[in-house]
Amino acid sequence: MDELRNHVKELLANGTVAAVIGYKEAGSPMRTKPVIITAPEEAILLVFNEYCLNNLAVYLTKARVKNLARVNGTIKKLGIVAKPCDVHAVIALIQESQLKREDVYIISFNCNGVVKDYGETLTGETIASKCLHCDARQPLYHDKVFGELKDLPASPDEELAKIKSFDDMTSQERFEYFKNEFDKCIKCYACRAACPMCYCTQCITDKTIPRWVESSAHGRGNFSWNLIRAFHLSARCVGCGECERACPMDIPLSLINRKMLEVAKNDFAYLSGRNLETPTLVGSFDVKDKEEFIL
Amino acid sequence: MEEKIINRENLNKLCRDIIDGGNILIAPGKTEYTVIKDTSEIILDAGSKPTKASYKNYAFPKAEPVIYYKKDKNDIELIDIDIKGKKTVILGAKPCDSNSFSILSKVFNWDYKDDFFNMRVKNFIVIGMMCEFADKYCFCTSVGLSPVSEKGSDIFLIPLDENNFAVRIITDKGKEFMESYGKYLTEGNPEKAKAKTEAVKSSAKMPEKVFNSEEVRKWLGKNFEHPFWDGIGDVCLSCAQCAFVCPVCHCFDIVDEDYSYEEGRRMKNWDGCQFGHFTLHASGHNPRDIQGKRYRQRINHKFKYYVDKFGEILCTGCGRCSRGCPVSIDIKEIVSDTVKQ
Amino acid sequence: MTEEKWEPKVVAFVCNWCTYTGADLAGTSRLKYPANMKMIRVMCSGGIDPVFIIKAFERGADGVLISGCHPGDCHYNAGNFHARRRWTMFHQLLEYLGIDKNRLQFSWVSASEGKKFVDVVSKVVNDVRELGLFKGYKELNSEFTAVVNGLKQEVNKAEAVNG
Repeated sequence: MDELRNHVKELLANGTVAAVIGYKEAGSPMRTKPVIITAPEEAILLVFNEYCLNNLAVYLTKARVKNLARVNGTIKKLGIVAKPCDVHAVIALIQESQLKREDVYIISFNCNGVVKDYGETLTGETIASKCLHCDARQPLYHDKVFGELKDLPASPDEELAKIKSFDDMTSQERFEYFKNEFDKCIKCYACRAACPMCYCTQCITDKTIPRWVESSAHGRGNFSWNLIRAFHLSARCVGCGECERACPMDIPLSLINRKMLEVAKNDFAYLSGRNLETPTLVGSFDVKDKEEFIL
Repeated sequence: MEEKIINRENLNKLCRDIIDGGNILIAPGKTEYTVIKDTSEIILDAGSKPTKASYKNYAFPKAEPVIYYKKDKNDIELIDIDIKGKKTVILGAKPCDSNSFSILSKVFNWDYKDDFFNMRVKNFIVIGMMCEFADKYCFCTSVGLSPVSEKGSDIFLIPLDENNFAVRIITDKGKEFMESYGKYLTEGNPEKAKAKTEAVKSSAKMPEKVFNSEEVRKWLGKNFEHPFWDGIGDVCLSCAQCAFVCPVCHCFDIVDEDYSYEEGRRMKNWDGCQFGHFTLHASGHNPRDIQGKRYRQRINHKFKYYVDKFGEILCTGCGRCSRGCPVSIDIKEIVSDTVKQ
Repeated sequence: MTEEKWEPKVVAFVCNWCTYTGADLAGTSRLKYPANMKMIRVMCSGGIDPVFIIKAFERGADGVLISGCHPGDCHYNAGNFHARRRWTMFHQLLEYLGIDKNRLQFSWVSASEGKKFVDVVSKVVNDVRELGLFKGYKELNSEFTAVVNGLKQEVNKAEAVNG
């Protein structure tokens, strides 16, 4: 951690970056929160450990944060402390032209997993389920990387097993299952707020003329909202799991977002945020795309 | 009615009677308050963590229709909602929750009597229970409550041991309710109950008082433009999770929804002051355009405006907002920091 | 309630240049096809937003058909290519969430394929008829209809859902 702090202190002191988005301790050693620092002395606040759950890429599209990069009429870099999975989000934002690669300074780590919830020691039971199927424990892109890879605690990928079990259910059973989960939704939009890929200045559900997605938290409004969000994230979601963690009603959003990740992978061999040179899946097309399902 | 005792077995029978009588019984489940269908679902553990969300949904629903309309060629017919409100019993509300309806009643009966809320609350019985849980997010003692506070409860339970609860009748409503279940109650032991409350008050389960709410209110009144508010908003994501899980946040939005060209309804939905568009005017101007201003509003509303207007703090110190915040913003820290500026 | 045999309601979003013209050709050729289809003309299949499909189900459709120009023939060059990718994912998402695959179908119908249009419509309507009333979505709405259609008396939920 000292390496991180010294490096950030240097970056801020010599003006390479205008601000750094990182993690700091939040009231206990087993919980962290995001912090945006602009002065070299503040670098001492930064931490990096298995309690760094937030995906800080969500701040890269916020106007107030982007304004911090505007110094004396020039645009300076923004530093970001990103786990390798968060780096995917940063890359995905660059793929979608929300950021330029040269405007962001990525400080990353060789990652040894994070916990599911604050306050627990990292073990095979408490490790976040996204870590169990991680394909990039070393960041694909970085400007600086710290840390050493260690073995992850062993644990079966229950989430994938659950998704596959849905194939054996009938349509009605699946509908009932998701309807019951979505009924819990209170339309707080925490899922949308925590997601780095949900950066639209006016979300479709905020549009009132015409009202495409109802804002009321009843069965119909909830089903439509969750369906549309899942669709808008298909082939764009990087699988950081922040939406599920932010949800106060414990709706299993990763069951849907991960399924769509698998669909994109199986049908198009595409994963969002892995390669700066690749065009986004939905922003491009191939004349040879499959169409057996089309009459 | 003086203090009595009830054991778990009889309490289950009482609950069975409530459910069989066609009433609704709500109790904390593993993470939420749920409608109990079978008494085996009842946990009733004073040491359990507060649920993720409060039970205000049962009196102030997350989405409720307020009026229906039906159009034909010449006329519009407005159809009123008939709130009957089934008799509902909340069992095992912690003191930080039981107070929520009495605080909310003030604003819902201010210049306009909100019958949607009133009719439902009229049919509620709150059976509060002493709390034996405290983590660093709890701060009920700083807002005038405590783990043994009976404020807001109609009936109050004090766990005496594994199997027995002391039953205190607090209000007339509670007395009337309990009269029909007298057969489940046994002779009380007031000394034991008092000893238990004293023990909890002097233990680590009593959250430390971290700020003086009157000092906070005075500071807020003088420091609307203080730079303290500027940095607060930087990491907040404007998700409004805090407002929705809070037992006393009550902002709502009115929207019209149509089912077809002829039929539709007007909905009253939960809204949150932390949303970016909460104060967006039709002209396009947004007076609370940055998060710092929105967070300032939240603190001011809870600790100053509501106190000035209704004499109650719009916060019960349950800590749900801080526990659940995706970016770990702790309201207790922010409020205690205000007076230190 | 009058005893009527239930007929599925199917909504078709069709592109102006190919499928709509193909449907027109079916009409001028006096070809017969089921009347269950409500057609909505859009300029290009690429301009069909999945929210339209969701809205159609919300408002009582039992099935939805989307149809456009053949790949390579799009009036706007690439609209249908973009649409095709979207549909691949949306179709699987809906199926995963419990909306049967055959309730949402896609086709390429060109301006000269009046007969194909008839075949596509017949197939889709039959598939949807076999699947039956789309109870799931109607049940999401039923608390709504039940109340509007007679607030002053208790309306049986089953009755309201019964086509």
